[in-house]
Amino acid sequence: MNKKSRWSFLSNGYLLLILLFIYLPIAYIVLFSFNDGKSMTKFAGFSLRWYEAMFKDRTMLESIRTTVVVAVIATAVSTVVGTITAIGLSKARPLIRTAILEINNLPVMNPDIVTAIGMMLLFIVPGVSLSMTTLILAHITFCIPYVILTIMPKLRQLDDNVAEAALDLGANPWQALIKVILPQIYPAILSGALIAFSMSFDDFVISFFTAGVGVSNISMYVYSMKRYNPSVNALSTLIVVVVTLILVLTNLIPVIKDKRTKKEEQRL
Amino acid sequence: MKSFFRMTYPYILWIGLFIVAPMIMILLYALTKDGGNRTLIFQFTFDNFTRFFSDPTFMRVLWTSLRIAFLTTVFCILIGYPAALFIANLSERAQTMMVLLLTLPMWINMLLKTYAWRGILMNFDFESEVKVFIGMVYDFLPYMIIQIHTSIAKMDRELLTAAYDLGANRWKSFLKVTLPLSVPGIISGITLVFLPAVSSFVIPKLLGGGDYVLIGNLIETFFITTGNWNFGSAISLIMALIIIASMWLTKKLDRNTQED
Amino acid sequence: MRKLIEFRNIVKSFDGQVVLKGVNLNINENEFVTLLGPSGCGKTTLLRILGGFLEQDEGTVIFDGQCIDKVPPYKREINTVFQKYALFPHMNVYENIAFGLRIKKMGNDIIQQKVNRMLSLVNLEGYGKRNVTQLSGGQQQRVAIARALVNEPNVLLLDEPLGALDLKLRKEMQRELKRIQQEVGITFIFVTHDQEEALTMSDKIVVMNAGEIEQIGTPLEIYNEPVNAYVARFIGESNIVTGIVKSEDCVRIDDRDYETREYRFKEGEPVDVLIRPEDFDIVKPKDGILRGVVKSAVFKGVHYELMVETKTGVSKTVKMNVVTQHDMQNTATGEKISANDFYVDSDDLENKEMTDQDFISIANAQAWDDNDRDISLTRVTHNIEKKPGVYQITFATDKKTEITVKVYVVHPEYVEDPRHNIGISALDFFITPDEIKESMAISTDLKTWASAEAWNLQDDSPVEITDVNFDFDPATVTEGSYDITFATQGREYKVETTQRLEEGDKVGLSFGPDDLHLMRKAVHEI
Repeated sequence: MNKKSRWSFLSNGYLLLILLFIYLPIAYIVLFSFNDGKSMTKFAGFSLRWYEAMFKDRTMLESIRTTVVVAVIATAVSTVVGTITAIGLSKARPLIRTAILEINNLPVMNPDIVTAIGMMLLFIVPGVSLSMTTLILAHITFCIPYVILTIMPKLRQLDDNVAEAALDLGANPWQALIKVILPQIYPAILSGALIAFSMSFDDFVISFFTAGVGVSNISMYVYSMKRYNPSVNALSTLIVVVVTLILVLTNLIPVIKDKRTKKEEQRL
Repeated sequence: MKSFFRMTYPYILWIGLFIVAPMIMILLYALTKDGGNRTLIFQFTFDNFTRFFSDPTFMRVLWTSLRIAFLTTVFCILIGYPAALFIANLSERAQTMMVLLLTLPMWINMLLKTYAWRGILMNFDFESEVKVFIGMVYDFLPYMIIQIHTSIAKMDRELLTAAYDLGANRWKSFLKVTLPLSVPGIISGITLVFLPAVSSFVIPKLLGGGDYVLIGNLIETFFITTGNWNFGSAISLIMALIIIASMWLTKKLDRNTQED
Repeated sequence: MRKLIEFRNIVKSFDGQVVLKGVNLNINENEFVTLLGPSGCGKTTLLRILGGFLEQDEGTVIFDGQCIDKVPPYKREINTVFQKYALFPHMNVYENIAFGLRIKKMGNDIIQQKVNRMLSLVNLEGYGKRNVTQLSGGQQQRVAIARALVNEPNVLLLDEPLGALDLKLRKEMQRELKRIQQEVGITFIFVTHDQEEALTMSDKIVVMNAGEIEQIGTPLEIYNEPVNAYVARFIGESNIVTGIVKSEDCVRIDDRDYETREYRFKEGEPVDVLIRPEDFDIVKPKDGILRGVVKSAVFKGVHYELMVETKTGVSKTVKMNVVTQHDMQNTATGEKISANDFYVDSDDLENKEMTDQDFISIANAQAWDDNDRDISLTRVTHNIEKKPGVYQITFATDKKTEITVKVYVVHPEYVEDPRHNIGISALDFFITPDEIKESMAISTDLKTWASAEAWNLQDDSPVEITDVNFDFDPATVTEGSYDITFATQGREYKVETTQRLEEGDKVGLSFGPDDLHLMRKAVHEI
């Protein structure tokens, strides 16, 4: 082996090790979701019994439902509010913009647990009892900053002249927004929504402190499990499959679109 | 263009209510006496803070949290830097693929992955701290790799060619060109690893068992179990201050390296 | 021609910096007007105020007899072609051009008619379905023009639209723009910093500088009769010298009187005198009004561009003593060391803090080891005093390898020329043949070795030494003494001629009274 190929052999080997490390627990979950036994250390043979068990486990199904409902509402609200705010901020004076963005950054920078107890105090002190509603409000609050942070850079990249060109050609500011600005930042809005959804879907700490009695999402369910429950592996495996599909699709669609337009152009 | 600014009014209201007000709540609780029954009474005091700093048990917890967060950060850099460098040397397509492969697990619920580690680590007879450490490095490593990779990938490749041209060998040009230019990546990696590691409380709870207590667990105990919200708020405030201080420090460090 | 636009006393500042200092300007119907000036002169700001994208701090803009200060951009009958085109990236060519018409809610068939007409006006038939991001710069440019013109505005604003194009395409688009303007017959207001663009396309040029208008006129007026040196330098090549008006038809330049045909100036008034390079005639030296030597000749395709020096600058000659000096060797350590004797001026010792580093560089002291690696000189000891005399200086390394050389402290010798207000000084120096042979930039090194400097006598500001004359061959120089002359720039004229001349040729320059254009001294210089 010459020096160069030995080098790439080494580096590829190292990267492979890293990937193995990162995918080890995921592979472990998937494997043991098909375990016939109850153990988390011994594989007793292939079976689908934990998938069956999962669909019979009421509390678990309820936590899945809660997770999805909260994530969908939080994503919808935070995407709309975040987009509107980001556009407004991009036209604001720099001083005001920086001030608002600094406060906006607080939930991102602050440890989750601080945000969480802050929200809890906010609700309980004036006598609002924790519930599904407080959970959703908390989720919206920590999702909006991520939406804004995703959209702002894209807005900044926009050529100011493009919006001006729309005004120049007779569009009023509202028409310029709908016809020119939104279509250009559309991908950023989508990825902002995706991040918001996954933040909400995966959240544990903030939910733990702001959900009412009897309201529990997947993370809280796993955390509060008294005994080891292999159905969690089955659930995790399903989540892994869904996440992988979504990621592959979101990464492939632009590539496919690109190819198609290129083909169309060649035909022209 | 002033009309556009009006679009921010709803959110300004929102952050006032849901971001600023909670912070004030924490501050109020931290600075007042325990009124019993979790209510807020306006008797201001620093007792909550003096109690924390005078009790060796709490100081030990703080020290453990800082130590494990520091070790996690160092190992993430040591393991992550070569990985980021190797990825940056791959072809463009392979790079995109690797970044995608690294991001994918980040989208999967951290609790579920930690839960899997609990199963894996059951096979071994490690100390609690080692288990927690493995869990933390696992959870934060991808962030570090991606941050460093971004800063290396952004670097102009011609700089290396120039360094070779000026007589630097591979190792020298790494030390003199690539490494200094990747410092911003390392810094933002540190903020993404150290800060959440200090405050983490799920990983120690799930992997360390009940006997391994970090500052996050302490806060949880005082809010959920003990019900002393004043003291719990004081601890969170102390943690937030430590984090703000270390952020400020890293930012300053970053600026200094960029000036050099 | 009817007045269409009127700027009245427009003032605008950003963050306390005044960008427009009260601009007054009228623009007529169907004119091709160019706002010309360097970046930062305020031309784009003026255009953006007219477009409605910026609000002036003071003053009024009148459009077609009406004040439009409060009219938003989307209600102005003005369209803009932006610097980087600002095409809508999410729309194809057709939709980009149709944008304004769709906003006005025109019928599809009318839109199609109009867009197609525009596409053919800008020579882009058949490009409607193309993605704008995949067009070339020139094509994007055409789309931007079509997108603006389809709205049938009264005025088209163009903000440096050709800046991003390469030279050939730029020339093509210049012609194209002029053609389009003549065809549609509306007012074009064109912003550029390119004087050639302004000269070829405009009916009227507005030369701007630092937020003010310097001159308004046709291209010919601006070229032939610039109001001041600023405009003259900005438009075309120029020679500008200062002179004093002696009488109605006579100006004095460099102590000689010349006949002129300009009668606008008072006797005794200082003026800038412009002579365009093409207005000189090259004649035999004895027939010339001015005589000089060709300093450089550059072939420019059709003509040669010469720099002719008619008068030398201030000069100073010094002796270069080439001596062979033996390296000192420290046999114990294998280190070698070398240094030269040197001259130093007592004034420098008095006024400047001369550091050890300064002495090391003047003496060209260096040390190296067996492997030719440089070793730093860590100790410098000397007995130099500030009065003239011969002293000694010793340079040494850490390992005590050392060398001692002579230092001649001398009174400074200046050459001062009060007429040019320039002083120059240089010192004799010692040097080895090897150092001369190793020099990669001999003129620069000679200046350093001789500590040659020139300065303005009034304010002490440095003046460039442009000429270093010597008659030895650096590659074969041997021991001995050589004269080196350092000189500042003399009077040089740029001359355009079709004659083939070479560096060193002696020529005469001739010109007539019409070729001298007198200008009022500019208040502000760039």
